[in-house]
Amino acid sequence: MDRRATFWVLYLPPLLLLGAFFLIPLLLMFVYSFRADMHGSFFQLWQPSLNQYTKLISTGSYWRLLGVSSLMALVISISAVVLSYPIAYFIAFYGRQRAGFYLVLLLVPFWTSYLLRVMAWKIMLGTEGVINSFLLYINLIQEPLTALLYNRNAVMLTLIYVWIPVATLPILAALQRIDIALFEAAADLGARPIHQFLRITLPLSLPGVLAAFFMVFIPTVGEYVTPLLVGGSRGSMYGNIIQDFFTKAANWPFGSAMSMVMLAGTLILVAIAVRLINVRDLLE
Amino acid sequence: MNPKKPLRYSLTGMLVALTLILSACGAPADVPPGELTGSLSVLDWAGYDAEDFWIDFKNTYPNVTVNFEIGISDADIYAKMAAGNQADIFHPYTGWLQFYVDEGLVEEIDTSKLANWDKVPEHFKKIGQFNGKQYFIPWDWGFSSVLYRTDMIPEGVDSWDALLDPAYAGHISMWDDGPAAVTVSSYIHGYDETAITADQLATIKEEWIAQRDSNLFYWAGEPELVEGMTSGSIWAGYAWQGAYATLLANSIPVAYANPKEGRNSWVGVYGIRKGTENLDLALKFLDAKLAEATGNNVVNLFYYGHSNQDVMNGITDATLKEAFSIDDPGILETTNFTPNLTAEQRDAWTAMWAEVKAAP
Repeated sequence: MDRRATFWVLYLPPLLLLGAFFLIPLLLMFVYSFRADMHGSFFQLWQPSLNQYTKLISTGSYWRLLGVSSLMALVISISAVVLSYPIAYFIAFYGRQRAGFYLVLLLVPFWTSYLLRVMAWKIMLGTEGVINSFLLYINLIQEPLTALLYNRNAVMLTLIYVWIPVATLPILAALQRIDIALFEAAADLGARPIHQFLRITLPLSLPGVLAAFFMVFIPTVGEYVTPLLVGGSRGSMYGNIIQDFFTKAANWPFGSAMSMVMLAGTLILVAIAVRLINVRDLLE
Repeated sequence: MNPKKPLRYSLTGMLVALTLILSACGAPADVPPGELTGSLSVLDWAGYDAEDFWIDFKNTYPNVTVNFEIGISDADIYAKMAAGNQADIFHPYTGWLQFYVDEGLVEEIDTSKLANWDKVPEHFKKIGQFNGKQYFIPWDWGFSSVLYRTDMIPEGVDSWDALLDPAYAGHISMWDDGPAAVTVSSYIHGYDETAITADQLATIKEEWIAQRDSNLFYWAGEPELVEGMTSGSIWAGYAWQGAYATLLANSIPVAYANPKEGRNSWVGVYGIRKGTENLDLALKFLDAKLAEATGNNVVNLFYYGHSNQDVMNGITDATLKEAFSIDDPGILETTNFTPNLTAEQRDAWTAMWAEVKAAP
């Protein structure tokens, strides 16, 4: 099989899937955001309107919530990466023959449903949960702490936990690509372990760190399941409001406009980050 | 002259005659119910897909396949139908019915084909009538009111404003629904729910933004509320009487308030999609939905009322009688029935609720 045929055999099925189930719905959503209201059938022609964007621009609380959600995503991404790095470092350099086993252990949470993992935190943090029960048992508190659940802290704690295995994988891949001979050379030249880490390990693993950061940051900005389960009255994120317009308000045009703004915002943030960090230099 | 023409005419005539004879002999109506085949698609709420809630149809037409698609809210079901969902039958609730009629999404129902129609009281039938035509059949119904833990609120609750009372801060749970929030505020302030002004809506928004400091979480499904009230983290919540009956059955100390402003009442209906190719089967399904075994399951398993009066007359269980306030003949006189929303109200009220949730 020649190179061109191989290319199409390998790329065509995923490209078709991506086109049918991601790009076309995204395009439909973009088109729908210019619809004035829900009146009329889904496929009928309508006069394009900027109504939804005008309403969105004039509603300050949605912009503020987008900012809050982005900030939460930033904190969650940085925390998940910082906590994942030691795990990846351990598996890459100290795992030896058991590295595969440790990797499987890391991936065990993926064997259970995302929803179950979030619900487990609800059980941990609830008024009758594990943490409250323990604190009551050791008499550190007399009444259950209600501040543990149904707020933004609970959302962030749960999401950091959920993302740690995801963030570990690209960092681990980057660390495993580092040539061990570099450490031996550095040691021969008198570099102490901390200097070896700062001058060799960290710079060479940065592409993995960045990949991990973006893999967590981008989906977290639009997250809605975790806030719904553990966020309570004040824990809503921007994604929850989008979901509400689709499922509780029957207002797909406005939900679509909100989605487009979030997509544009996320892409702009990623573009700025890529520009600032200069990924090409890092990759080279 | 075309010599073949007479033959062609005679062949056409024979075909027409044959078709008429076959239709007369083998019309689907003559097929015994047990042998009737086909498939129906129903857009319903989670839980109602269980066979218990369409058991009469299942038993009568065992060879008809019924496929369920689940909607998670009235808005979700409406949006799906408006977007061209091909479900033959769908299950909206009062407040959301007018849209289906206005948008031409629902088929008029020939009630002469429903054997159980006579068992439905007139006031229920009227809920599904628009422009003098029957578009929906009423099916399940219930109350909305304040449900509270009697051990945590021994003084009792006599007003909807308990849901906004800072005295219960951190122990209140409101339903995650904009129109419900507008309804509660309207009852408290004496607003005309069908004619809320922009100023009134602004007041309502501020009221519910402030309420978030007292509200632990907004519940989306009844089990969340039941769990919260069972654990004691929720003392007062907006609730349907199904939650009340569930908690009573589990011996949790709760009471279902009779607020001075009156309870709210809602009715679930079934409609048939305009243009469905399965109209006959759909009518059979709706008729079976009104039958007694199905109705008894709605009452006994979900603790909701059923539109078949024979079913309601047969209730003897004390918990259920309490939940439906069957022994309180005056309850319906003080009950506020859910009015139909207009598209403008729907958009304004749901946007208000989104802003409440998005507020700093």
